[in-house]
Amino acid sequence: MDVQAQARAVTMRFGSFTAVHAADLAVGPGEVVGLLGANGAGKTTLIRLLLGLLRPSSGVVALFGAAPSAATRRRVGYVPQTLGLYGDLTVAENWSFTAAAFGSARAAPPDGIEAWRGELVGDLPLGIQRRVAFAIALSHRPELLVLDEPTSGVGPLGAARLWEQIRGAADGGAGVLVTTHGMEEAQECDRLVVMAGGRVVASGTTAGIIGGATVTEVRCADWSRAFALLDAAGFGVQLHGQRVLRVPGPAAAVGDALAAGGLDAAVREVPANLEEAFVAIVSGTA
Amino acid sequence: MWAMVAKEFRQLRRDRRTVAMMIVLPVVLLVVFGYAANFSVSSIPTVVVGPGAAQAAAELRAPFRVTEVDAGAGPATARARLRDGRAIAAVVTGGSQTQVLLDGSQLFPVLTAEGALAKLPAARGTAAPRVRILYNPKLTTSWVMVPGLAGLILVFIGTLITSLGVVRERQTGTLEQLAVMPLRARDVIAGKIAPYLMVAAVDLVLIVAIGMGVFHVPFAGNVGTFALGAALFLLVTLGMGVLISTLSQNQGQAIQLAFMIMLPQVLLSGLIFPVASMAAGVRWISYILPLTYFIEISRGVMLKATPISALWQPIGLLAVLAVVVLGLAIVRFRRDLAPSARGVRSEAPAGAGVAGSRA
Amino acid sequence: MIWGLEDVRVTFGRRTALESVTVPVEPSGITVVVGGDGAGKSTCLRALVGLLEPRAGTVRRPAKDRTGYVPATAGLYADLTAAENLGFRARAYRLPAAERGPREAEILGRTGLAGARDRLGGQLSGGMQRKLAVGLALLHSPQLLVLDEPTTGVDPVSRAELWRLISGAAAGGTAVAVATTYVNEAARASWVVLLEAGRVLAAGSPDAILRAVPGAVGSARASARPAPRSWRRGADWRVWAPGGQLPDGVTRTEPDFEDAVVVAALAGEER
Repeated sequence: MDVQAQARAVTMRFGSFTAVHAADLAVGPGEVVGLLGANGAGKTTLIRLLLGLLRPSSGVVALFGAAPSAATRRRVGYVPQTLGLYGDLTVAENWSFTAAAFGSARAAPPDGIEAWRGELVGDLPLGIQRRVAFAIALSHRPELLVLDEPTSGVGPLGAARLWEQIRGAADGGAGVLVTTHGMEEAQECDRLVVMAGGRVVASGTTAGIIGGATVTEVRCADWSRAFALLDAAGFGVQLHGQRVLRVPGPAAAVGDALAAGGLDAAVREVPANLEEAFVAIVSGTA
Repeated sequence: MWAMVAKEFRQLRRDRRTVAMMIVLPVVLLVVFGYAANFSVSSIPTVVVGPGAAQAAAELRAPFRVTEVDAGAGPATARARLRDGRAIAAVVTGGSQTQVLLDGSQLFPVLTAEGALAKLPAARGTAAPRVRILYNPKLTTSWVMVPGLAGLILVFIGTLITSLGVVRERQTGTLEQLAVMPLRARDVIAGKIAPYLMVAAVDLVLIVAIGMGVFHVPFAGNVGTFALGAALFLLVTLGMGVLISTLSQNQGQAIQLAFMIMLPQVLLSGLIFPVASMAAGVRWISYILPLTYFIEISRGVMLKATPISALWQPIGLLAVLAVVVLGLAIVRFRRDLAPSARGVRSEAPAGAGVAGSRA
Repeated sequence: MIWGLEDVRVTFGRRTALESVTVPVEPSGITVVVGGDGAGKSTCLRALVGLLEPRAGTVRRPAKDRTGYVPATAGLYADLTAAENLGFRARAYRLPAAERGPREAEILGRTGLAGARDRLGGQLSGGMQRKLAVGLALLHSPQLLVLDEPTTGVDPVSRAELWRLISGAAAGGTAVAVATTYVNEAARASWVVLLEAGRVLAAGSPDAILRAVPGAVGSARASARPAPRSWRRGADWRVWAPGGQLPDGVTRTEPDFEDAVVVAALAGEER
């Protein structure tokens, strides 16, 4: 398969500290891959390895089929979380600066952000700033897009609009790698790679990662006592909506704990959601 | 590369504060410097005492400016005038030789006076006057500078460090947190200023001790007077620091503002150039700078043992400045900590309804 | 409502930041204010804790010493240790001296920070800082707990732990108000307020908001926008037909909470 970026059994050591251990990752054309993990899990290091900003201690990194280099970096578009825009320049000025730096001949910003061309970037709301940053990153038609938490902070409609841009790039053949630690962003991706402690601990689609994991749903009239009881007993109980508790753990154990506390509750096992599965995977590994 | 240059220019054009500092500041500095920087003094207030006072006064020419003639007064009065800062030169007539007493704490006026006296033609028959420099007989520069530098360092701590300390809270969001707690605005301000006050006081003692130990600057006067002047001066500069912090959104802005307030004090407070020799057009600025008054107090007390009674003016003015600056700072700070009521007041049922339980 | 904002209007100079906003916060409940950047969520919470006064409407809140607030920037001192932060807070809220030690230990335990009590605030990880900030706000057992984007930028495991802390507060009887940009967090509230540009687009329990979706929602796989009122969801497009009639090629689906929120946002835009 012709992939945009690939890491095979890549390890990165800084002195005695192993930031990334035997990680595998591949991003193919037209797909959106999500890299999910906490800060310090190794996401940033892995990205820097893929971009050729670091050389791996062991393993193979390939960008467009060859070792990363300045030439291949021109085919990559990168948007960091801080967006990399100059807040005290207008949209048009940011655009022309990037165009000059990349040597692309684009004359004017695209329609999507044309309306704000004279505005100072720093004065624009975050959602629009993100759209400007993406448009600029896409301006030199990269074949690989690397986006750091692209839709965090913009709210539901803003996020949907940004995903239009991202998916548009993927539909056009680019491979997209998104780093995230938000479940909503993760679920928009075609595939996920989950990292914890420098290792890839799970990969696949959302459904594949959740697998058959379940949590116990508890419905109880005296829900606050039930919560306190389960919390004290060491279950990672969470409140959902009004009076419904979701508890990682088998229904039998949860039911016993509640009964021991003299509480009358309805318990049943339900499929876990991505966050619950993630916490279970990562805590199990930690 | 040109893309980089173009971009930097565009960003610079929009940053008004930096542009102001880069273009306006040098121009202002040059103008002020030109009018203020003057080592020679054109007018030296002089008292003339003794039996031959009237005649001597008639003979005195510029740069001496006779402010008082008292035939009935003697050397003691002349010294008192110098000590109290009412005159810089005193001519004592009578006795075997006319004496000219000069206030050694006023470096440049004294140098000018010495020069003028040397050119004075000897009056027919009478011997040349004997010149005595009081308080700083060798005209040692460090003796005159150390009391002033003590003030400058306090300005630095008071204005810059205090403003940074408060702005930092604003930036980290802890100021907001303080506003939500059941703390009174004056508790917060007093609590914030007190440590800086203590550190500045320790610094002052250190500077004076070093000045005395290393440079042998005398401390001739009353410690209490000095302490009072210093305390009031500190309140003004710390208040200035808090005021700057209420006008700045981040540390960079605070530094810029503090710098713009400190710079005139270095140039126009009499630390280097004597206030008396500044052109009237810029001299008025010295009169609103707190450092000008502190230098008067510190030089007076340390070198001349000026009593508090003679220093009521600078002390009083510092007190007024302290009240004004602190008052303004508190008013503005309180607005940051508690919103002013606009429109409908909020209901705040204290402890009404359900009692909060242990979380 | 016991606590909260009722029909509140907040202006900054000529700009209206909030218009007719109602945010009820009940004891033992969690009210989530969800919206994008600039929607007015922080303004709501700041009005709620008294950092600003509304131009119109009513704000109900307990006395200052019965309110706990966690600002978006965490609001703890980076150059004090965790224990010192707790100590300052305890004294500022005038906790009785005898209670301070045990209470601080309890909070350190609940937030999982007992091992980090002597570490400087600035040296804690992002997740630990937020947990400490929540702990600081709970130190004096407030009746009302207000949190501004407590989980933004926090790793998923810490986020789950933060929500457990927040839920625990609600279970203990505290009234909790949370501002967030994450829609899936709004799904676990007892009351949701969807805010956009200072106005309420939808409000109610998550179930009520789901039931209130007008018209029909459908799904389609296409390379270009299948209809004007559509948005991307994964590899598919979602379409909303307010009248109930979906265009050809669009399969009707059961909307989930995220769909409901997007529909409310679209409806709000069109108004």
